[in-house]
Amino acid sequence: MNLDKRLFINVIPGKTFLDKLSGTTKVRLFFALIILLVATWDFRILFPVLVASLIGLVSIKPNWKIVGSLMAFIIAVNLFNLFLIWVVTPDYGRNIVGGSTVLFTFTSRYILTAETLWYFLIRFTKFMATFLVSLTFIQAITPSEMAAGLYSIKVPYKIATIVSIAFRYIPDISRDFADIKISMQARGMELDSKKAGLFTRLKQNVLILCPLIIVSFERVGNIANAMDLRGYGKGKTRTYYSEHEETENDRLMKIIYLLLYLSIVAVIFFRIFFPPEFQVWAPWI
Amino acid sequence: MKKAIVEFQDFSFKYKTQTETTLKNINLTLYQGEKVLILGPSGSGKSTLANCINGLIPFSYEGEITGSLKVAGVETKDASIFELSRHVGTVQQDTDAQFVGLSVGEDIAFSLENRATPREIMLNKVDFAAKAVGMEDFLLEPPFHLSGGQKQKVALAGILHDDEEILLFDEPLAALDPAMGMAAVDLIDKIYREKDKTVLIIEHRLEDVLYRHVDRIILINEGQIQLDSTPDELLRSGLLKEHGIREPLYISALKNAGINLSEMEHLDCIEKLDITGQKQEILNEMNASNSYQAPEKGELLLHVENVDFSYGERKVLSDISFDIYRGERIAIVGKNGAGKSTMAKMLCGIIRPQKGSITMEGTNCLTLSIKEIGRKIGYVMQNPNQMIVKDIITDEVSLALLLNGFTKEEIDKRVADTLKMCGLYPMRNWPVSVLSYGQRKRVTIASILALSPEIIILDEPTAGQDYKHYTEIMNFLEALNRDYHITILFITHDMHLAIEYTDRAIVFADGKCIADDPVFKVLSDTEIIQAANLKQTSLVTLANRAGIDPEAFIRHFIEVERKERAYES
Repeated sequence: MNLDKRLFINVIPGKTFLDKLSGTTKVRLFFALIILLVATWDFRILFPVLVASLIGLVSIKPNWKIVGSLMAFIIAVNLFNLFLIWVVTPDYGRNIVGGSTVLFTFTSRYILTAETLWYFLIRFTKFMATFLVSLTFIQAITPSEMAAGLYSIKVPYKIATIVSIAFRYIPDISRDFADIKISMQARGMELDSKKAGLFTRLKQNVLILCPLIIVSFERVGNIANAMDLRGYGKGKTRTYYSEHEETENDRLMKIIYLLLYLSIVAVIFFRIFFPPEFQVWAPWI
Repeated sequence: MKKAIVEFQDFSFKYKTQTETTLKNINLTLYQGEKVLILGPSGSGKSTLANCINGLIPFSYEGEITGSLKVAGVETKDASIFELSRHVGTVQQDTDAQFVGLSVGEDIAFSLENRATPREIMLNKVDFAAKAVGMEDFLLEPPFHLSGGQKQKVALAGILHDDEEILLFDEPLAALDPAMGMAAVDLIDKIYREKDKTVLIIEHRLEDVLYRHVDRIILINEGQIQLDSTPDELLRSGLLKEHGIREPLYISALKNAGINLSEMEHLDCIEKLDITGQKQEILNEMNASNSYQAPEKGELLLHVENVDFSYGERKVLSDISFDIYRGERIAIVGKNGAGKSTMAKMLCGIIRPQKGSITMEGTNCLTLSIKEIGRKIGYVMQNPNQMIVKDIITDEVSLALLLNGFTKEEIDKRVADTLKMCGLYPMRNWPVSVLSYGQRKRVTIASILALSPEIIILDEPTAGQDYKHYTEIMNFLEALNRDYHITILFITHDMHLAIEYTDRAIVFADGKCIADDPVFKVLSDTEIIQAANLKQTSLVTLANRAGIDPEAFIRHFIEVERKERAYES
């Protein structure tokens, strides 16, 4: 696996504004945004988050080759999903938005209403915002910062370590896999899709897994020893080398995520005590 | 009075899963500030001894302890591994697995993180430790960008923070190429001198460790201390061969010349060894038995011409040409990343040259599939566990035949023949899991031989093996070559292997083939040795010091050793 370039997961911290925030800030900001996105259907909140996450993504200068194709795929899936909802229930917006303003009639059953379109827009915004926030988060955080950040929100450090250790050893395991595959191919295993059927290839790939598992277990034993020998798991608390002190920017973002948490509380509060007549807000109602 | 820091008293240990005691009645005291080598073949108990000192026993490996072991005054039976880790810093053998952090800085900081050291203090300590091992410019680098030697430096830095009085190195040379190994021994010595620590090195590669002075050597075998003495005394004792440890080459050469070692001083350090008086003896012996003959060449088997290969922008092989003749034994040497493995992959057809050609017995290999090439050229990986996919030996050996569509009768016959060739026939129905590492290696070689290839390529066949197992494997391969005329290519760092078991060395450096000559020629050429990260053999040093032509001296040494081996078998 080539980890030299800016790929999906970064091990070396980047240099942009978001990259330079501490792990704690990144994790807390991420959870604030995600909870908010889950809690609300209000376009007045969703749309600014979408715009902000888009700006965030652009600001960290991602590898557009990978990110672009991923985004195209997610957008396509999303649109297809909306289309299917429309096929099954063309007048979906009636109960959710309230009303049924017909814009276009295909047949007596298949109508397109302003309310349905509005609902679809909200739904699309919500999903895209969730996706973009997650994507930006994953791209802007290193596994070590993630561990430090999770630890800062009281996730036990042993669980947080699993995250960083996994990223440490995935490349090693994938290299083992490639090596084993080579030796099997040299012994006559046909892994070329043109020459062997899907089932045969599947069966042979399983065969490769046996040595891979054994080799990985050997490694796990060594890793565990290495960690024990350097005192891992002894203390209740732990500090992180990769987690730098709060900077000016971190304090700024702290205000933002605190406001976000406040708004989550507000959203939930209004939902419970002043439930709206319809599920989503529309400007014309 | 020296202060005792490690004290074994009537100490025995038996692993929970084993019936025999691994360490038997050890009485040993190590003193503060000593540099000690614990020497022994695999299975001798030397690693167990190390694990008792650093606390992995009984923390991670359960078993029965009798007697007493005190480390820095603490009885280890009652101490936790964490308490011991404050006194003993361990650098393990596997440079890759022990690199836990995602960057150099993080890995050096790991023990500090675990002690919840505040970050301001941690940063200073990490910088300081990184400077001590010369890795201060790499703090942000991830492990994927580092060589084995650099990873080991990082591991060493990680145990230099403050209070560890004892530094324990468990086979520090196993994963390194010769030049890196020398650098590692040098660095350990530098740290030892500068930091005032007690240093314990666990190794079986005596000559490489003796590159820098050690105070004391403890020879262990069969769970018992065989000798506890100075290096000079050990080298004179003649105990090495008996306990499966390879004698330094220059010592063997002196012995071959019939020189009496008991009178000589500084035997452990060839630079200080005075041999001016012995020059005539050496020359006499050389002239008495000068019988070198270049091995006869068989027919041309494989012809590689002007081959180029790049991964993307990075050129890995450029303009490589060489020939391989039937029945040859060839060493492919060079540092990691020099293109050796890429060349091996190319010979197996896994990757194809972007320019140039490979011809095998007149057929252009580029027209053949991997599978077709696989029947002509077999590839044996370094770690047998990476190759074995079946539970039973026979199944493993017949796998390649099955995949290549042989008939049932043919398979049975070939498998039986191969197993007999490899001395595995009586064990044919055994499960692979009960075999030792060396036996597994044999199984993987058998599984390749079943296809009766013309050439087999072995990647580091002796890595991590002690002298005894090394000799077993190499003698087995030598017999295959001699009795069945199988052409063998060794990809290796091990210069001993190249000297003793190959006729020719093809040397790679930076993707180029920089030498293709008999081994004695390559090894006496200083420029090639440096370019390929090889270690100058002590034979050259010895020859230079005695004022003898190194090339002739190595050639002579090889002859004598081979004659002896032929005589023994």
